[in-house]
Formats: sequence, structure tokens, C-alpha cells
Amino acid sequence: MAEDTFLDDDFLRQLMSVGEVDLLVGIPSHNNATTVAATVDAIEECFRQNFYRDRVVIVNVDGGSKDGTPEAVLNAAVSQHENGRGLTSLRTEHCVGMRYAQPVSTGQLYRTLLAAADLLRAKACAVISPASSNVAPAWIEKLLKPVYREKFDFVAPLYGRHKFDGLLGRNLLYPMARAVFGWRVRELHPSDFAFSGGFGSYCVNQDVWHEEAIGASAETWMAITGTRPDFRICQAFLGQKMHAATTSGSDIVSAVRDAVGAFFWCMESQQEIWTARTGSEAVPTNGPDHELTIQAVRINRKRIFELFRTGASELETILKSVLSPETHAEIQRIAALDERKFRLGGELWARILFEFAASYHRAVINRDHLIQALVPLYRGRIYSFLLDHQESSPQEIEDDTEALCLELERQKPYLLERWNQKG
Amino acid sequence: MRDVIVRGLEQAYDNSVHMIAEFLPRFVVMLIIVLIGLVVAFLFEYLLRAILHLTRLDRLSEEAGATRVLKKAALPSVSELLSRSLFWLTWLGFILVGISVLQIGSLQEQISHLFQLLPQILVAILILFVGLLAANFFSRAVLLATVNAGYKSPQVWSGATRFVIWILAISMALEQIGLARQTVIAAFSIVFGALMLALAIAFGLGGREIARETLERHLGETKKDREEEPSPL
Repeated sequence: MAEDTFLDDDFLRQLMSVGEVDLLVGIPSHNNATTVAATVDAIEECFRQNFYRDRVVIVNVDGGSKDGTPEAVLNAAVSQHENGRGLTSLRTEHCVGMRYAQPVSTGQLYRTLLAAADLLRAKACAVISPASSNVAPAWIEKLLKPVYREKFDFVAPLYGRHKFDGLLGRNLLYPMARAVFGWRVRELHPSDFAFSGGFGSYCVNQDVWHEEAIGASAETWMAITGTRPDFRICQAFLGQKMHAATTSGSDIVSAVRDAVGAFFWCMESQQEIWTARTGSEAVPTNGPDHELTIQAVRINRKRIFELFRTGASELETILKSVLSPETHAEIQRIAALDERKFRLGGELWARILFEFAASYHRAVINRDHLIQALVPLYRGRIYSFLLDHQESSPQEIEDDTEALCLELERQKPYLLERWNQKG
Repeated sequence: MRDVIVRGLEQAYDNSVHMIAEFLPRFVVMLIIVLIGLVVAFLFEYLLRAILHLTRLDRLSEEAGATRVLKKAALPSVSELLSRSLFWLTWLGFILVGISVLQIGSLQEQISHLFQLLPQILVAILILFVGLLAANFFSRAVLLATVNAGYKSPQVWSGATRFVIWILAISMALEQIGLARQTVIAAFSIVFGALMLALAIAFGLGGREIARETLERHLGETKKDREEEPSPL
């Protein structure tokens, strides 16, 4: 088996002592000592409330934390057992872990979790990110139940968010995935999700784990794989996602590189499926499929616009090699506009995305460089979005997202034309 | 008197006939060698082109940006360039062997020098080619990183990267063929040292703000940084 080569002996011994399980919850961690104990508490609470007759295990795979995260996981699990009050599980709750000495890619963490699930023959597995500070027992239940009771293969999360949070998903990943793969899955870069044992075995046995894109964002690949015809996918609304609504510029670049890199790689590797699809289908959803809040956040709009404008002029030669002359000329035209009159509309944005995807396919320049060249244009789109929706209600934002999705679906023939173009 | 002139002319004629009789076979041998060389060179060119086509070198070179530079210089693709270079080098080698068959003393010494230099010239060309690829790749990486991070003058950073890699590659290539070795090392040290000094002075005097921002970025994210842009995921 594939896992024989990379699971260490100690971890294998721990897994053998656990035996077969019904449910597995994985915690991929890296320097999460402050929040991981609360995550473990929530998982154990969920097991006691909802799955007290089932064989369960928590698996922590740590990517070289220096802040004592693995110890915090074990301590939290032990103290739960010692202080457990009220409902108790009828079975032993196991907590095992594997610790990498050096930082490893998130893909490697997920691969280890999948291999552990495969070895333990888990029927349903959930992955919970310890980075979220408000994981509730209900989250785990909402993720595991569709797999365990309703035989879904992949459960993608849905979160309540601030209206300006998750804009890469709203403006790029969701509309692109909907137009390209034909499924309306909102979170394509999920930090919390669930999958069936069969789906996990399929994923761990794929020869993709050496790919850079999978190392950076295996979760995106798994979510897209969940839309394949042989699997059943659904969405579950978990609740408010508690994380900072704003972030630094370097985080934007790495998020685009990871998520868009993995998405374009999936387009490349699964083209035999998506090129034949037209339109899009909704997936079964438990709870609302969106929830937006509108409290004020401080965003430096001027800087975002300046970064777009600088990118459009300084990266002119790169953009010329990626985009069609018409699209490039249009970008140069809007970059020269006054910042209050600036708009990067859905029609142009769709063309930009499709031309980038096709250029990625033809590898006109180094693929990582190509995705980095998209960052200034993404900033332009975000600036336009912020201008448009300064005062918008959640429903107006949803309507706008729907319009963008329909525009991308309308332009899919253009994507196919560019994609199949030679030279 | 008349007999002496006639004898002289006869001797000159005999000598010429003798020389031509000696030279002509060698010349024919040279021509045969050159013709065989032409065929072998064509064969090598064809084989190398086929091998490079299989290894998809052109695609790699396109990704690294080398193809664009070659196009700008009105040069063909990388695989075409290498194939043609091999053709000319092979044929040149055969031509030199052919010329050496003529046994012209002064030429033979020069030819042996050239033969000794051939492998080094090949390595030097390879170094320049790798330098070209590396310079394009890293200068583009620097350009993208500086643009996306919002640094001032990204083209300067990118150009400086390209320049340093080019200087390094040219110095290594010249060093390889042993051309003015001392001068090359000295020139490289001066150019590289001057560039570093200029950057240090420019950064220290002109870029105090950038220096502060860079240090802040490395020593920990500031509150201002965190509030810049909406969270993407």
C-alpha cells in the first residue's frame, strides 16, 4: 500500500492498537497550540452527544510545530477523559498522532490522514482545521452525518461570513468551478470537510501526491474530485467562520498561488470530464447556502487599486504573453481610468480567467509565474467589487455573484475555444 | 645561356608538376573529408533535433522565457539553435581535419590550437545558454514578487537580478575558454562589488522607508499590514 512508505513505525503501532473504526476526525496542525485544545474538546463532545455507540478516533498530524501543538492535543484528549461529565461514550475514544520533525506541505498532512483512515477502514472521516477559534460540536456532526448516515462521499462546508470575507471564493473559485466543472459547490478551498472511507481510499491511491499543486492545496483537489460522476457530494452549513476579515498582501499572494494553482491543475488533469459538461447543477445542501454579515471593517482600498495599476503596467510583457490583445488592451484602458470611475466587470473578468486558464494549459510561461501574474488583476476585480458593494445588502451581493456565475457559464464556449487552440 | 634558361624552366616545371602531383591527392582527400563531414554534420543535426523534440526542450525554454529573448534577437528556437550549432561545429571539425591533411606547417599549429579550444567553446556556449535561462526565470520571479508585494521600482530589482546573472554567466564562459583570465576575474569582481555597494548605498540612503517596512515585515506583521486587504478565503 502507498502509506507503507511514508507513515512512521510509531504511528503505525498507534494505528494498529486502535484497530478498525467507524468514524475518524483528523486535525492537520502547524503551530496551533492556542486553539487546538478547543478543537479537540468540540470533537470529543460531538462524539459523546451523537456517536456514543460508534468506534471513533481523533488523528492529529502535525507539520513540525514549535509551540507544543501535538502535546496540547494529547493533553486536551486526556483531560477530557478524566473530567468527562454527563454523557459518556460506550466505546473507547482514541486519540493518536504523527509528528513531522520539519514543516511539511498541507498536502502531505492530508495524505497522512487519508492513509490513516484507509488503514483503520474508517467509514466516515472529517477534517477539522484547528485554526478556527469557534469550532462547535455541531460542526462535526453536520459534516459526518451526511457521509455516515446518508452515504454521501464528500461534504463541503458552508460558512456565515462578513460580506467582504472570502472574496477569492466568491469572485474566482466558485464561479469558475461552477462554469467549468458544472457543480455549484461554494467552498472549493475548505478547511473543514468530510468524506467517506471509499472516497479517502480513492484519493490516497491516486498518483498525484508528488504534484506541487496538490502539496499546496490538496483540499481543493479533493473537493473537485468529489464532483466526479462516481461520487456523491453535498454541502453543510456550519455557522459563522471566525477569522480576521482582513489580511496582509503576502497572504493574498500565497492564497491565490495555492488555491488557483490547484484549481488550474485540476482543470488540466480532469479535462476529459469538464470539457463535455454544459450548464451547472445545484448540490444537496443542509441549511442555507450563504449567510452574510455587514459590520464595518477597515480596508485600504487605495492600496489595492495602486497594486492593480502597478501590476498592469509593470507586468505588461507577461500579461501580453498570457492574454489576447483585446483583453490586454481593455485592461490597459481601465487601468488608466480615475479610481472612482474604475470598474472591472463580470464580462472582462470572465475573459481574463478563461485566458489565464488556457495559458496555464499551454504553459506559455512558468505556471507558478503565470498564477502570480493573476494577482494584480484579482486585486483590480476586488477593488471593483468593493466599490460596487460598499452599501449593498447581502441579497444584492448574492445577486451580483449569481450574475457573475451566469456570465462565466455563458462564456464557457470561449474557454473551450482558447483551451483547444494550438501554439 | 639558352641551355641554362631552358634547364631552369624545366626544373621549375618538374617542381610544379611534382608539387601538384603531391598536393592534388591531398586536396582530393580534404574535399572527401569535408564532404563526409557535411553528411555526418547533417546526420548529427537531424538526430539532435529529434532528441530535443522528444525532451520538449522548446516548451521548457518557452516557460523560462528564453524563447522570447531569442525571438527578440531574431534567432530560431532553442532546439533549432542547438541543432544548427552542432551541425556547424561538426562540419568545422571535419574541415579542420581536412585542412590538416594538406600538411601546411603554419596552418597545422593553428588548427591544433583550435581543436584544443573546441570542447571549451562548447561548454562556454552551454554556460551562456543556462545563464540566459536562469537570468530570465529569476528576473521574472523577482519582478512578480516585487510587484505583488507593492515594492517601489520593480523593474530595477528585476533588471539588477538579470544583470548580475548575466555578468556571472559571461565571466564563467570567458573563464572557461581561458580568455584574459585575470582581466575577467578582476572585471567581474569590480562590477559585482560596485553593484552591491551601489545597492547598499541606495538602500541605506534612498530607501529608509523600504528598509523599515522590510524589517517590519520580517520581524512581525504590523497591525497596518493585517488591515490592508479583505481575506481571500
